[in-house]
Amino acid sequence: MSTLRSVIRVGGVRDSRLMVPIVALAAILLIDLIVVPGFFNLEMKDGHLYGSLVDILRNSAPTVVLAIGMTLVIATGGVDLSVGAIMAIAASVACILIDPRIIGLNLQGNITAVVGDPTYSFAPIPVVIVASLVVAVACGLWNGVLVSFGRIQPMVATLILMIAGRGIAQLITNSIKIIIFNDAFAYIGNGFIILPFSLFIVVALFAGAWLLTRRTAIGLFVESVGISFRASLYAGINEKRIKLFAYSFCGFCAGVAGLIAVSSIRTSDANQIGLYTELDAILAVVIGGTLLGTGGRFSLLGSVLGGLVIQATQTSMYAIGVAASAITAVKAVMVIIVIILYSRQVQDLGGRLVARLGRKQAAT
Amino acid sequence: MQKTGFLPRIAMALAMTALVGACSSGATTAPSAAAPSAAAPSAAAPSAAAAAKTFADMTVGFIQTGSESGWRAANTASFKETATQKGITLKFYDAQNKLENQVSAFHQFNQDPSVNVIILAALDVTGYDDVLKEAKAAGKVVVLEDRRIDADPSMYYTYIGSDFINEGHEGAAAMCDLLKAFPADKHNVAEISGAVGASAAIDRAKGFREKMGDCGIPDPTSLGLSQTGNWGVPESKAVMEAFLKKTKNIQGVFAHNDEEAIGAIQAIKEAGLVPGKDIMVVGFDATADGFKSLISGEMGADIECNPLLAPQVYDAALKALNGDTSLPKWVPSQEGAFFAAQGKDALQAILATRKY
Repeated sequence: MSTLRSVIRVGGVRDSRLMVPIVALAAILLIDLIVVPGFFNLEMKDGHLYGSLVDILRNSAPTVVLAIGMTLVIATGGVDLSVGAIMAIAASVACILIDPRIIGLNLQGNITAVVGDPTYSFAPIPVVIVASLVVAVACGLWNGVLVSFGRIQPMVATLILMIAGRGIAQLITNSIKIIIFNDAFAYIGNGFIILPFSLFIVVALFAGAWLLTRRTAIGLFVESVGISFRASLYAGINEKRIKLFAYSFCGFCAGVAGLIAVSSIRTSDANQIGLYTELDAILAVVIGGTLLGTGGRFSLLGSVLGGLVIQATQTSMYAIGVAASAITAVKAVMVIIVIILYSRQVQDLGGRLVARLGRKQAAT
Repeated sequence: MQKTGFLPRIAMALAMTALVGACSSGATTAPSAAAPSAAAPSAAAPSAAAAAKTFADMTVGFIQTGSESGWRAANTASFKETATQKGITLKFYDAQNKLENQVSAFHQFNQDPSVNVIILAALDVTGYDDVLKEAKAAGKVVVLEDRRIDADPSMYYTYIGSDFINEGHEGAAAMCDLLKAFPADKHNVAEISGAVGASAAIDRAKGFREKMGDCGIPDPTSLGLSQTGNWGVPESKAVMEAFLKKTKNIQGVFAHNDEEAIGAIQAIKEAGLVPGKDIMVVGFDATADGFKSLISGEMGADIECNPLLAPQVYDAALKALNGDTSLPKWVPSQEGAFFAAQGKDALQAILATRKY
């Protein structure tokens, strides 16, 4: 108890923003430990780890990547609703570059050549990846221009691409679902170096974002723009450029998430890839302790943990066997609990309770 | 597809962002409106009677729900193309998924003296009583397609649409067939269902449960192996991954559409198992993607859900115009089932003739 008290003293429950996502994640895993036998089982299979925990890490990759980008956008006081659509666009671009023959229905002639050839790719894979990311950044840039130069409300500005983006993604692939057989491309979402390859992408992206925002002044600029863009302007910060950067980076992250998602399912499902993930990403950021709407201080690590909380909930529900009709309700309960944990009143109450317990213990 | 204009393609792409499809997935590939139709004209030419009406005498008012999915786009294209082929005059109305639009269009067609047949893809099960009465008084032939309504059967000529329960039966039969490769006590099937509440999902699940006992398949729900995949690849894959962590004792996957079947196949492969050998997969819709999985042998069977209902509907309407009252009040749409066992070449030949 004394250690708990010192943690509270040193960090302060209220100020330790990582506390809530850590507690939430621990609680979910604790439930799994009790309810699902073998949830924590890990085995080596074909030279890589295999188990539910690995699934959580791997399936959370797109959400976590999105959350990293979304954190910066939310910190500037904005929000990006279009990331799911950008994921679909990036996925479509990648698939069409890997297999452009499949456009239209005139694929019958060479379908055997297409089905099952693990090396076929029209454009070299590095070109595919770079092109998809460039398109994604361009989408982010478009959002940024609307928000910073057009002075359009971020929610409205990004809503445009959210609605139109999925249509664009359909248009790129002619609304045909392209199945990808190329193994090199599939490695992004399916590969393993003991741990899932997508996990390494997440770590690299997180490290990059952290260095960029915490080892340069950019992070500070982002926070100051979020707190007051006018004050930032007078302080000599080019808030337009900061916003442009935040939205472009968010677009980049959406592109990476789209590549991971499409390579994981090996199908350019423009209807479904990234569907509603913008909401998951926003939720992850909120769970991570960054304030939605007002912006300002942000926590990249918090957002990463938030993404893990969401995916852990999802995977646990599948493992426990929650009925399909109840899944969204359970998710809602999780959100409510987390949001309540953030409420200042509840935190004060908790703090007082712990303090009283501590005093009692010290007295005895 | 290449011949299609740019604008229609944008329109179609936008339409496809909508999710809900009547038939199921709303995610089937759409044929272009300009593609030549090969839908077999099964029209038995009206018997030689001199007074017999022909398709040329038919003016159809077609009230479509809207353009919410690829399935719907294929359905609309089917009606337009077949009308052109048969020389039917078609007045097409897109209700944009609004019931009041459908009712006012219905009213208008009732008043239009040139229209003698009204085809309705109903948005709701009720709300058409007044216009149906009006149509009867005006002597119009009313045919319902794809979606059934709660109305007195005497108020319409016939309903032509999919029988999802029967599709479920066929899926169960196909699964039983595929499971013959396993001993009788190893017939555990996981179910990946469609969106919660969709009629296609409810009825396919029901149909499957009615017939699964035939070869001793236990209820997937009681095994804890039934979960929604929301008609899509990503969720279905995550669901199947979790199922395979739970137990390795799964021999079959009953997926409610092709996308979900494809997602399950991905998860099976990643678990180091071979779809089509260790685990049998059954899907629905028989889209081009489903066919590809059949050809590669990963999907065992694919049950069709046919959006190309126009030939059947027009034939029925012509019968009505000629006073033939022999048709039942419900004509199930003509649908097939396809099996990996048919062999690559045969499947490829079938795929080449398909429109969606």
